[in-house]
Order: sequence, then structure tokens, then C-alpha cells
Amino acid sequence: MGASLETTLSQPRAAVAGCGAICATGAGIGTLADALRDNRSALRAREAFAGKRYQTTVAGWVPEETIAQLATHDPEHADAHAFLMADAALQEAGKNLPTAAAGRRALVLSTTKADILAMERVFHRQPCSRTVHRHILPRLLADDLAAAHQVRGPVQCVSAACISGLLALQQGASLIERGAADVVLVAGVDLVSHFVLAGFTSLKSLDAEGCRPFDSRRTGLSLGEGAGAVALVRRDLLPSPVWTIAGWGSSNDANHLTGPSRDGSGLVLAINRALQRAAVATGGIDYLHAHGTGTLYNDNMESLALRTVFGKNVPPCSSSKGIFGHTLGAAGVLETILCLLAARSNTLPGTPRLLERDPVAPQSMLLRPQPATRLRCMLKINSGFGGANAALVLRKDPA
Amino acid sequence: MSDIVIKAAGWLGPEGFGNDLAGLANWPAPLGEALRRGELEELRWSELFDSEAERFARMDWLSRLGLMAVELLDARFETWDAQDREQTGICVETATGCLTSDAEFLRLPRPTVFTYTLPSTVIGEICIRHRFKGPMLCLMSSGKSTRATIDEAAGWLREGSAKACLCVSCEAVSPDVAALLPPDLALENKWQACALLLGRKSGAPRQHALGKGTLTETCRHLCRAARRC
Repeated sequence: MGASLETTLSQPRAAVAGCGAICATGAGIGTLADALRDNRSALRAREAFAGKRYQTTVAGWVPEETIAQLATHDPEHADAHAFLMADAALQEAGKNLPTAAAGRRALVLSTTKADILAMERVFHRQPCSRTVHRHILPRLLADDLAAAHQVRGPVQCVSAACISGLLALQQGASLIERGAADVVLVAGVDLVSHFVLAGFTSLKSLDAEGCRPFDSRRTGLSLGEGAGAVALVRRDLLPSPVWTIAGWGSSNDANHLTGPSRDGSGLVLAINRALQRAAVATGGIDYLHAHGTGTLYNDNMESLALRTVFGKNVPPCSSSKGIFGHTLGAAGVLETILCLLAARSNTLPGTPRLLERDPVAPQSMLLRPQPATRLRCMLKINSGFGGANAALVLRKDPA
Repeated sequence: MSDIVIKAAGWLGPEGFGNDLAGLANWPAPLGEALRRGELEELRWSELFDSEAERFARMDWLSRLGLMAVELLDARFETWDAQDREQTGICVETATGCLTSDAEFLRLPRPTVFTYTLPSTVIGEICIRHRFKGPMLCLMSSGKSTRATIDEAAGWLREGSAKACLCVSCEAVSPDVAALLPPDLALENKWQACALLLGRKSGAPRQHALGKGTLTETCRHLCRAARRC
């Protein structure tokens, strides 16, 4: 099985042509790049959600003025926040794309709750426009985004907990590999709402002060909201060098619905599948972007899995949940964008809010950004509820 | 598609339930139009779920229906070894996902319900029961069953990412939640689940060619054909 995969799939056909982002740092990938450079956290409390018996309101909130600006530019979708954010990220990612017929353009959306604000409004019988009412269903949000971005090819919507974003990138690359599209717009979006805060509060999984991934004093995660978009294009349509989606893999722990497997074996499977598909040895990974939520069990499990795969040679690694929080269905896309921004500035990202590395965490876990000596191949991993694990290999072509 | 075949199929919905191999004579009467809690339990699920019956009762309806469709498959998963299970992938498609659990959580937030407010939780339940650890995907559809999950699973099998693959489609919308849906959503059925077990063609008996139908259409076609036999 392995040999045939290496023979047939080691030449990636999907390349990254553009990125866009809206998150706690603001609008545009420039704001994310600045936070990355400064190792700055954009987590904050939010008054509007205070006093509701949530563990905390500290989260990666998209600035209110950013949303207001988006709504001003698109009054028809003023109350459709998920659409507004994803649309803006897609516009940024879609600049300067090679021309492709609408039928050769595809869109893959990743989200866990689509427009959960709309769901709350509909449920509580509050005013809700017909447009935003559609977006309580993820696929209809995907359809509307596809229509807004001249997509007449395949439209898919992935909703697989916190690995949704990586699976969406996988699906995008897969559509190109199988010849179903020349351009695939991949977007991830999720919002923080009363529903989401109440849910994670009920599981007691939030850190009241803000998440501290891989820190020995960590007590939980911080939620985040936003949208990320990556435009994937057939490799031969772009000039070299480019970053390609070289490999991917997913797995299920088959163990527990909300807790990660204690031995990390599910994540190990996903990583090994991605490395195998990319035909990359463990020593070939120059940087690893962890899921790193800041919960005790996730970070322990991840650390164990990384030791199993890489032994004592875990590549330089970090988590960005301290910058914009855990953005759920958007996480895989936003965090992949962060990897690409790091590569652009030849920097290894730090882990904002990590002060005292837990002894179980890899020694190579970076507290602060560092100049990179070599960045040709990166690994991005995520895990989620339902025992889900996913891994994605990004490779520069030519190296 | 000729290199990929259907090894087993199972479905349940308003018209009843079935699979491609077993006779239906031993099963209770077909389900009513509105499949409610009590009626589903009449499926003698305790025989299907043995000691895990208590866990089954805790699940949301999306997970129950999806798991039930998989249990209806005549696949003898109990004879599969650990390697077989590690290389079994699962693709789920659903239009309405976990909307029923969402509404329940909005009514009364509690952790046991929040766990089921993700459409992919059904994958976790199926994998926990059968120790499947292969690749996974959960796609949201527009209301009509599509070919997307079948195409994805076939791709995994061809490229060797999985040795066997389950394709599952399920919808579980209670009448009060149906009122929350956008008016232009054309759902084929609000209570339904079906599952196909796909694999590469081999010399084994009981293999069905994979036609051009959607997941739902294929399941029902196979089951009706089996009933006529």
C-alpha cells in the first residue's frame, strides 16, 4: 500500500496561490503577520457576554469595528457575520488568481456551527433576515459563498469538529489532484456565541485567564472566532517556487467522544498517513504547528504522539491558540495560513502565552519566534471531539 | 467505478428498514411516518447493541440512526482483526446534521447534549463501537443525497488510504426543529439513515457493482432487490 502511494502521489498538484484572514488580530493577513512577529496575544474579555455564568469571556473575538466595517461594505449581509467574515477572507485570498472557467472553480467550506448567531435568533424567535436564516445550515452558507465568488464547479462543506479546516484543505487538494477543478477556494469560519460559550463552559474546558498552550500551569482553552481562506491552484498554473499541499491524513481514536486518546495513537496514525502520502521522512519536517489548545489532556496527548513519531528529534514546534484562540472549524485553515506567513518571513513562530514549558512538552516547543535556518517542509496537525485527528504536510516546490 | 464494489448495505427510514442480505421477515413492522423515540426502540436494538444498550440510549438521534444503519449491514465486523479496523475509513453526509441537538442544547444547556452538537459525532460513535481508525470525513449536503461521499470513499480505496470504507447518510429532524429550517430547503426525508460498505473488487461472493446512484438511492435499490429475491 505504502509503495504505491509514494509512487503515485509524491508529486503534489495543488499549490497555494493566496491567503486571507479575519480573526482576533483584525482584518487581513497583515494583522496576523504582525501578531506572529510580535508574539502577541489578541485574546480579550468581552463586556457584552459578561454575567452569563460562563467560565470566562476571554476569547479571540473579532474586533467589533472590523465587523462593522464589513457590514458597511455589504449591507445586504449586515447581520450575516459568518458570511461577511468568510467572504472577506475569500476576497483577500482570491486576488491575483490565474483565470479559470467558473465550472473549473470549486469551493470547500469548513465550519462546525456555520452562523450560530442566526440559529440562536431563529430559535428565540428574534428578527432574522431570510439570507442569514439560510446560514444556520452549513451547506447553504457554502452555496451562497460559492455564488458570490463565481464558483460553478464542485461545492463541498466539511463539518468534522476541530479537524474541519485541515479536512477542507485536504478536500481542496484532492479535487485538484483528481482533475475536478483548477482553482479551489478553501474557507473556514466559525463564530463565538452564547451557544458556544455555554457549551465549553458546561464541559469546564475554558481557562479563565486565557489559554496557555503546553504551559505547566495550563487549565483549559480559549475560544476564538474568525475566517481563513486559502486559494489552491493547479501547480502548473503558478510560477515557481510555491507551497504545495503535499500530503494529508486523518484518523479516529475510536476511544472517547470528548477526550483525546491518552496514548496519542490516533494522532500518530494521522501524522504517519500524511508523511507517507507526501513521501517525506520524519527528519524532513522543518517546522510543526501543533493543535496546542491549552487543555491538560490535549497537550499531553499531542506531546506523547509527537515523541512516538519523531522520537527525541521533534522538529521546532509551536501553537498559535494564544494569538487568536481556538477557532474550531476555522482553526485548520487559519493555522495553515500562519505557517505560510511564517515561511514568507523565514521565521519559526513562537507560542504566545506560554511562559513555563510543561516537562511533557517537546523540548523543541518555541516560546518566542526565531529566525528559520531552513523551511522547506511543514507539518500542521489538529485533533477534535469525536476522536478526530488530521495532519497536513506543506512543501515548498522546488525546495 | 468497476474496481470498487458494495459489500453490504443497510438503511432505515419511514418506509421501514433493511439490508442487502438478511431477510426482513424477522423484523418488526415498518416504521411509521414520524419515527419517534418509542418506535425506534421497537427495532429490538438491544439485540443489536448487546451490553452497549445504555450507551445507545444516551446518544442523539443522528448518532442512533447512523449507528443503526451500520449495524444493519451484514458485514460481521466482529471477525475483523485490528489491522482491518485500522484501515477502515468512514464518510458521512448529512444536510441537517445535529440541528435537533442544537435546539435541545439551546433549550437546556448541558454537557451530555453539547457533545452531540457536532454532525461528525456519529462518526465517533460508529468508530468507538467497531474500533475503526481509518480516514474520516463528514460532509454537509444541500438536502438531496449526493455522490460526494461515495466518490470520496472510492478515491480512498483506489489510492490505498483505506482497505474498506463505510459511507453513511443520515438525517434526524424532530417536528419542532423542522419548523426552524429555512423554507427553501428541500429535504428528501427528515428521518433516515443508510450505510454502504465499500471495498475493492475481489473474488468473494455477495458483491454488488457500484452504480451511478446516490448513497440513498443505491441503498434502497439494493434492499428492494434483495426483498424481491
